[in-house]
Amino acid sequence: MKTRWLWNIVVSLFMIQAGGGVIAAGAEDGRAIVQASFDYWRGKTSVASVDMTIHRPDWQRVMTMKAWTKGELDSLVVITAPAKDRGNGTLKRRQEMWTFNPKVNRVIKLPPSMMSQSWMGSDFSNNDLAKSDSLLNDYTHRIIGTESHEGKKVYVVESTPKPGAPVIWGMQKLRIREDHIFLTQEFYDEDLKPVKIMTARQIEMHGGRLFPTVWKMRKADSKDEYTQLVYRDLVFDKDLPDSLFTLSALKNSPR
Amino acid sequence: MNIVECINVTKTYRQGKMDVRALGGVSLRIKKGGFVALAGPSGSGKTTLLNIIGGLDAANSGSVVVEGRVLDNMTQTELAQLRLRKVGFVFQSYNLIPVLSALENVEFVMLLQGVPAKERLTRARSILDDVGLAGLYERRPAELSGGQQQRVAVARAIVSDPAIVLADEPTANLDSKTGHELLEMMKKMNEQKSVTFIFSTHDRMVMDHARRLILIRDGLLADDQDRDP
Amino acid sequence: MYFRLGWRNIWRNPRRTTVILTAIVIGVWSMIFLGALMRGIADQMIQNGIATLTGHIQIHHRDYRNDPAVENSIAEPAPMEETVAKLLPPGSHWSARIRVTATAANARHADGVTMVGIDPPREARVSFIGKAVREGRYLRDDDAFGIVIGRALADKFETGLGKKLVLMTQDTEKNIASRAFRIVGIYGAEMEATEKQYVFVTLSAAGEMLKLNRGISELSILLPDHQLVAGTLATLRGAPSLRTYDAEPWQNLLPLMRAYLEIYDTFIFLWYLVVFIAMAFGIVNTTLMAIFERIREFGLLKSLGMKPWWIIKEVLAESFFLLLIGIIVGNILSFLSVLMLMNHGIDLTRFAAGSEFAGISRVIYPSIYGRDVLLANLVVFILGLVVSLYPALKAARFKPVEALAHV
Repeated sequence: MKTRWLWNIVVSLFMIQAGGGVIAAGAEDGRAIVQASFDYWRGKTSVASVDMTIHRPDWQRVMTMKAWTKGELDSLVVITAPAKDRGNGTLKRRQEMWTFNPKVNRVIKLPPSMMSQSWMGSDFSNNDLAKSDSLLNDYTHRIIGTESHEGKKVYVVESTPKPGAPVIWGMQKLRIREDHIFLTQEFYDEDLKPVKIMTARQIEMHGGRLFPTVWKMRKADSKDEYTQLVYRDLVFDKDLPDSLFTLSALKNSPR
Repeated sequence: MNIVECINVTKTYRQGKMDVRALGGVSLRIKKGGFVALAGPSGSGKTTLLNIIGGLDAANSGSVVVEGRVLDNMTQTELAQLRLRKVGFVFQSYNLIPVLSALENVEFVMLLQGVPAKERLTRARSILDDVGLAGLYERRPAELSGGQQQRVAVARAIVSDPAIVLADEPTANLDSKTGHELLEMMKKMNEQKSVTFIFSTHDRMVMDHARRLILIRDGLLADDQDRDP
Repeated sequence: MYFRLGWRNIWRNPRRTTVILTAIVIGVWSMIFLGALMRGIADQMIQNGIATLTGHIQIHHRDYRNDPAVENSIAEPAPMEETVAKLLPPGSHWSARIRVTATAANARHADGVTMVGIDPPREARVSFIGKAVREGRYLRDDDAFGIVIGRALADKFETGLGKKLVLMTQDTEKNIASRAFRIVGIYGAEMEATEKQYVFVTLSAAGEMLKLNRGISELSILLPDHQLVAGTLATLRGAPSLRTYDAEPWQNLLPLMRAYLEIYDTFIFLWYLVVFIAMAFGIVNTTLMAIFERIREFGLLKSLGMKPWWIIKEVLAESFFLLLIGIIVGNILSFLSVLMLMNHGIDLTRFAAGSEFAGISRVIYPSIYGRDVLLANLVVFILGLVVSLYPALKAARFKPVEALAHV
């Protein structure tokens, strides 16, 4: 999930509150800003309940899920409601991803061909979740401006893919607040036309940290097609055993 | 010399569920060079007798001898051979093959007999002249009058020097003048070439022309008047 | 003489004769012309199949055909390539490829494709791709990130020359391998399905991406003459260094096409059969009518001493002429039709989707095979005479007395 650098941001916020100063404040370098967010989440864990709404002009679907993450490489997401989707889940361990469907009782390892498919039917793709450090490693970042949000400074960063990097985007534009909260991520194609936009809003205290409660991923050319994540019950740094990120855990849907 | 001999010839055929007796035991002798008429009302059996003499039909019992050959047990092939070489037929109508010219119709029999082409042509032309059709060689039957067609038929019948010429009511479809002319021509052939003519008829005129008149009634000989010596 | 009679007799009823002649002409024309079209379709299908990467013979790892995954590659192709070079007849060409399934994606679209890593100069002599590039250029040996895709794929992905295309697949270490390529050329192929399926990169780029080292997926061979396939195949299969590999001819590599070809063959056969049966009925009917009209005449002929065998010959002669004329005119018509279509073919682009489904190219050309023409003519002629035996025998059996009495 995008939760990775979300946790990054929240923790850095914690650091700020603990008086460590805003890490980004010292580095005007775009890469440093992004790097700092990523660095921050190594070794951190999180447990959250999330309501996901998939909205289209004609219909809308709501699901509730439980998500566990450890660092930025491992995550387990299981759907808890509605009843017909309960038990479906995705496990990510390092670069590999598996899905589980209780109705068929099969665990399927996602082959490369499925990585571009949507995750759980939403506007996020499996790739979005799997290649989370691609943003850091495959792009060069440049600060192109600053704005402000809720009284805080916001860095506008333009991320351009490195030549030869196997990424489908032509460019990404990020808006990162000085306290490491990602407000917006815009995805552009090669002709620099926007394809999809992710926004994070309603920044509140969760588990002792500031964290955007509402995340929305929508297609650039349609306001009526989006996926929205609303976080509830967010807890950080709980001790999560390695056995939680296994195929059997995926099948057995821990509580 | 008897060119045709019939000994107690009978013929019965089936019509529907009935057996009809066409000939009930006919015996006669015909000499070579004869000009004979078999006369009688329709259904008397004259045509049947003619057909049996010519090998077109087989008698049920009795014997038929043509120029010394006994027909009784001949196979179809042998009868066909007989008809080809020894018998000439002239029918009431439809004597000629419509798609062949007069000349070709006459040549036809010689062709079947294997006569070489040059000879065929000469003889055919000659015989057509004899029957009074000189110059009409290339005409198709449709282009000839009834009388002319019959003449071609006669020419064909006699061109291969048969033993006998059997004519079944040859004048029936002709007017009296033409019929008369035809008969005169046939008589001439009979006298010039000694070809034996046997007619089946109920035409008064033919009966008058015949030198021997055999009457048939109900499948049996009723009368036999021979004016030949 | 019976030929003369036969010939003249058929023109006694010109209208009837014309009708049956028309039937025979149409029958013969349809057999030859449609046969030529079917053959044309089949020939093109074969040529197309061979040109679209199949070649005459392919050599693979034993398990590759069952599972065309990167694991089933020929790890050390050098000894095999040496042997192949020695054993192939002069004038042959061959080329090595890496072929795996992959996902192609750009910012807006993603779809499954087959990634083919090729040796550009060698590949150009073996398959269609060397001449197929319509925009941009063909691949060069040094194209590390160049890719050539089909027009239909470019349209579907709303992309064009110079744009990025990211390919994702699994490498030999079972990890996801992905690489961004730039479109250097766009090709056109006989069938849209081909254009959507195959994307071409260099052998070295594919090998690097998949961590294959020197490994290849297949070796494709094009022989100077497809008659040599069977012989060359036997030679290759017997070679010791090739024993662990699979050498297959195009017929086995394209079983679907093989099935189509067999369907076409069966179709032609059934077509011939149906057309012939219809014609046979016509011939028998016409001839029967003709002889029943002439019963008396047959009686006359018999009375003149004609043997039954002769009568049969005469009736057969009538059929003989009908068949002869019909066949000649039918053949002329067929050749004219084929000649007319030789240049432009029959354009099926309107039915493009449907015809692709049936494996037919967009424009079909007829293709005349001497063997087919001879067969059609012989079938019509001989069987036509055979069915005419029935009326001929009937004519021969007329009893003279009954026939003569007929009106």
